[in-house]
Amino acid sequence: MRNIYLIARRDYLGYVTSWGFWLGLLLTPLILAAFILAPSLIENNQPVRYYTVIDSNGAFASQLADRLESRRESDVERQLFQLAVEAPEGFDPQSIPRFREAIAAGADVETALEQAKPGLVVSVPERSYQFIPPPAQTEAGLAPYLLGNESIGETGARRLFAALIVNPDTGEVTYLSDDVVNDGLKSAARWAIEDEVRAKVLGAAGLDPADVQAAVDAAPRIIERKVGEGGEVRQVTMADQAPYIAAVAIAFLLWFLIFSVVNYLLSGTIEERSNKIFDTLLTSAKLTQLLTGKLAAVFVLSLTLMSFWVVGGVLVAQVAGGGMPASAAQFLSAFGNVLIQPGILIPTLLSFVLGYLMFGAIFLALGSLCESVQEAQTLMSPLLIILMVPLLFFSMAITDPKSPILAGLSWFPLFTPFLLILRLPNGLPLPEVAGLIGAMALTTVIILWAAMRVYRAGAVHGAGVDSVGRWFKGLVGGGSRKGSG
Amino acid sequence: MVHPLELERATKRFGGFTAVNGLSMTVSEGSIVGFLGPNGAGKSTSLRMALGVMAPDDGEARLFGKPPRLETLRRVGFLPEERGLYKKMSPRATIAYFARLKGMSAKAAFTRADELLERAGLGGFARAKISKLSKGMAQKVQILSTLAHEPDLLILDEPFSGLDPVNQAALEELIVEQHKRGATILFSTHVMEHAERLCSSIVMVARGRKVFDGTLEEAYGVLGQAARLAVTGGFDLGAALPPAGFVATREETVDSDGQQWWRVTLSQGQDAQQALRAAIEAGAPIAGFLPELARLREVFVSLVGDAEAEDLRRTLEQGRTEKNHA
Repeated sequence: MRNIYLIARRDYLGYVTSWGFWLGLLLTPLILAAFILAPSLIENNQPVRYYTVIDSNGAFASQLADRLESRRESDVERQLFQLAVEAPEGFDPQSIPRFREAIAAGADVETALEQAKPGLVVSVPERSYQFIPPPAQTEAGLAPYLLGNESIGETGARRLFAALIVNPDTGEVTYLSDDVVNDGLKSAARWAIEDEVRAKVLGAAGLDPADVQAAVDAAPRIIERKVGEGGEVRQVTMADQAPYIAAVAIAFLLWFLIFSVVNYLLSGTIEERSNKIFDTLLTSAKLTQLLTGKLAAVFVLSLTLMSFWVVGGVLVAQVAGGGMPASAAQFLSAFGNVLIQPGILIPTLLSFVLGYLMFGAIFLALGSLCESVQEAQTLMSPLLIILMVPLLFFSMAITDPKSPILAGLSWFPLFTPFLLILRLPNGLPLPEVAGLIGAMALTTVIILWAAMRVYRAGAVHGAGVDSVGRWFKGLVGGGSRKGSG
Repeated sequence: MVHPLELERATKRFGGFTAVNGLSMTVSEGSIVGFLGPNGAGKSTSLRMALGVMAPDDGEARLFGKPPRLETLRRVGFLPEERGLYKKMSPRATIAYFARLKGMSAKAAFTRADELLERAGLGGFARAKISKLSKGMAQKVQILSTLAHEPDLLILDEPFSGLDPVNQAALEELIVEQHKRGATILFSTHVMEHAERLCSSIVMVARGRKVFDGTLEEAYGVLGQAARLAVTGGFDLGAALPPAGFVATREETVDSDGQQWWRVTLSQGQDAQQALRAAIEAGAPIAGFLPELARLREVFVSLVGDAEAEDLRRTLEQGRTEKNHA
């Protein structure tokens, strides 16, 4: 035990005193946060895009403006409904009809919200597109404004994002822009045209489009309810989705941790091989002690990373807690409750340990065969592909958690650590959970045994990447020639 | 009697290649043994078997009378041929780390590391990263790591390779110092001068087989020794010495002052002084006397060369036999 401790301690201190570790520790959450928040940040911080409409009768411009505004109205309305479900005690049910009435009366979103109930905590999305009067009347005349060579308006260098030119004879709309990727305005224009057509058809049938809209608004809503384990029926809240999202988060964390820390094992072992330390070590400790110490060091390293991230996350959540929406707080609370359920916690912990041991042992064995990271890449490629496969199923775990593909793949032991966690919120039967864990444990034992042999071949007999190549050739050729290792 | 190290008919094969073939050797307590052989003779493999790093395919290895296990290995310090250290660690931490793996307490290990580094003139670099040290300094650190736990048996595989003459001399001193402390020392080398200066006995291997095992004197005796005598006045030593049991051969060259050199071949049990005495007693007018001792290098070349020639003969014979069978 003492030697295992000494080896683990040396390796661990070697890792945590490296710059790479601290960079990873600090940058990883920032990068992950950036990945998660980037889409909404980009969306919310998008500069206002200016557009113009050349339309002789002005009807299309008005339809388009309404359509663009209706997105903001829908967003606010969705938030009001959410408040009604998740915080009914402080919510006035009349707020929603009052908001709709104000909108119908021609108020903008901000005013309508103020009229619905002053002080409601709702985030009103910024306008993405702003109409401006046409700076020119022809495509050629608009071109310099669209390219930014000419500025629109009088303050600052504003660029025209798009121009929509309505053909007075056919009603066809030409969408003119330098940006061919962003299609927000284009799709709003398409909806506006459809609105106009719908209004004409309704008008021809003697119906007022406003009446139709009022009827749609007053249509009965779909109320989602869930049957609980005890047969009780209750309203579906965000907390019901928490286990699935928590499972994906945990599986991803496990995947990310394994992916991050096993590289330390690989590079550490390569260092020992290339620096010719094996013989000195092997006359000071048993091979099993060496392997156990190394695996323990990286395991503790992953716990260190996780602790830092969890503690950091809790601190950030506490600091930001005051400004956190009730729904987010409710979700986080549900997330925490998921984690402490024994049915999820125990298989998750076992998956973490066994998954880590499986991949750790494989990387350790590979490292013992390589003199350099470049050499290791040859052997690592197939393994990295295997590690990537479970990632493909993470989104499926949310959209179709009971998928038979997910269930089938979870029996492949190298995927089990991740896919079992993804499947846990479905309430898997205990025998299946036990079977999956048993298969994973058996595979772990086999991998550890094989890794020990490979490690011995690499560390003691100097077997290298070439030996693996010869072994494969022998395997493919059916030969049984014994290598020098 | 329990010996610090014993190999008994140890054999190691790698595929079809036999690296070590039935090697038996014993390292007695308190001795300094040179393990000599050309590159690829199987020295490192033999040492690795002795240390239990790899198991022999046949035969056995014993350390202090027991199979090489961690408990016995704690009494051993091993400097491998392929040397290296953790480059990001400091010399102090490195020495203490390996000493602790050998069973020393943390406090004792660090104290010992400080003391050794100070004595080796590396006190100022105790906490520097090994990657910042020169190659010679790093080698010193490795050697210090090997003996920090004061082992009873020191096994040094090619310890002088890569060292400059000054550091080679310093290492020789260190080996003598460790020997005086009571350590038994076995070191492999293919540089005979180190063995001649340090060893009480030697084991020579070639092509995985032992070709000599004995004291230095016995090694010198392998080739036989000679004495050169110069006489004046045309005295015929060739006729005068045979009655005393010596054979003298006239050398072709004659010195400008008329002295004639004779070469007296010494057989087992004879020495150069006896030959001189016999010549004087025979009335030879002696003008010069040069005892001619065989050097270990010549013994080595002769023995290893013979072994290699024998090996080549066997290989050719085997090839012919296989061809005939085919």
